[in-house]
Amino acid sequence: MSIGIIDYGLGNLTSVEGAVRRVGFDCVVTSDPSVLAKADKLILPGVGAFGDGMRNLIERGLVEPLTDFVLNKAVPILGICLGFQLIARESEEFGHHEGLGWVDATVQRLQPDDPELRVPHVGWNDLIQCTASPLYEDVPDDALFYYVHSYRLSVGDDGLVVGEADYGGRFPAVIRKDNIHAVQFHPEKSQKHGLKMLENFLVQA
Amino acid sequence: MLRKRVITVLTFNDGVLFRTKLFRPDYRYTLNFVDSWSVDEVVVLDITRPGEGDGPNFEEVIRSFASRCFVPLSAGGGIRTLDDVRRFMALGADKVVVNSGALERPGLIGEIAEAYGVQCVVLSIDAKRHDDGSYEVFGNCGSRPTGRSPEDWAREGESLGAGEILITAIDRDGWLQGYDIELCRNVSDAVSVPVLALGGCGSWKHMSEVISDAGVSAACTQNIYHFTEASIRAAKKYLGSKGLPVRMS
Repeated sequence: MSIGIIDYGLGNLTSVEGAVRRVGFDCVVTSDPSVLAKADKLILPGVGAFGDGMRNLIERGLVEPLTDFVLNKAVPILGICLGFQLIARESEEFGHHEGLGWVDATVQRLQPDDPELRVPHVGWNDLIQCTASPLYEDVPDDALFYYVHSYRLSVGDDGLVVGEADYGGRFPAVIRKDNIHAVQFHPEKSQKHGLKMLENFLVQA
Repeated sequence: MLRKRVITVLTFNDGVLFRTKLFRPDYRYTLNFVDSWSVDEVVVLDITRPGEGDGPNFEEVIRSFASRCFVPLSAGGGIRTLDDVRRFMALGADKVVVNSGALERPGLIGEIAEAYGVQCVVLSIDAKRHDDGSYEVFGNCGSRPTGRSPEDWAREGESLGAGEILITAIDRDGWLQGYDIELCRNVSDAVSVPVLALGGCGSWKHMSEVISDAGVSAACTQNIYHFTEASIRAAKKYLGSKGLPVRMS
């Protein structure tokens, strides 16, 4: 099986690549749509700002091919952190930006209801597994994951939210729409449970 | 609930692990083992003097940590431009740590935040306590006074786009006598982003003090005897027994 890690000049690709190899899969890191077209599964990683992320995807001519792979050809994809947010319709991070629009969702600034809670939300926090997902196989309910973000997703259809996090209010942490899986935290930075989740995506999703 | 973090900070001179005491070198230790399974986060800092050493040696450090430790990795040392940031990020860093480069040109903070998001920018502040009890920020590895107060610089850094503040008490560096609680509290109260405390940790009790009394998000340690698997677990067990939320598994 070939795994395509989408390089759009912003994600932390080394650690995603390292984690995929660690769980026993070969992968290719590329921004070339013709190479990504041959992948059985895709990963859209991400560290960065929404506007730059979309601009880089557009500049590399990736928006149309990726949309075709994911929406028409139903290639399984895992979005991570910024990759989780880019699949939304729009974001208000540093101005208004259009997203990939694969999921009816918007990106807004995190506003914890407790003033003691600092933003960005950085560190290890719980994942509330709301609905069954192939990603959760052998991942215990009390597993912690590493989050680092200042913005959160608001999803139009609650049914798409299969996992939530709580940081002065709940917000989506894992969403699933058919072949689209996305996580707000960093599985590649969340040690054994994160690696397990990545393996679950590669094996089962 | 968000857990309090225990962070390992490692300094490298030309790619070789280098421990400091009062910001002066102490070469007694070498890197042989970092417990990648209990520590919550790793920070690697390049302290090679400008013009000395071989850049690629530190780059290899970032690359090797990024590919074999599956916890967040921050990298810093000598970052002056967005190109420096790009290089560290491409090697696998999740965040970058800026210090002197931001003192020289505060706009650097905003440039990084805009390109990578605020959560990517850790502003490192080295502060010294004067005899009258006031604190001053020092640049260039603690050698250059700046006339700035740590609270003001932290506040300015936050407004420019820093996502976390790493506050280091120069006078406590390597002494193992405990964190500078007052300094950490002042900085923590001044900003609304997470604050990471460094300098002076010599026991588990010091960690619980700085988390409870200074309200920081993370206790950082540079001392090699904290690095073994058993001792990080022991530290967290102690913090847990004090009612502090930490990650045990």
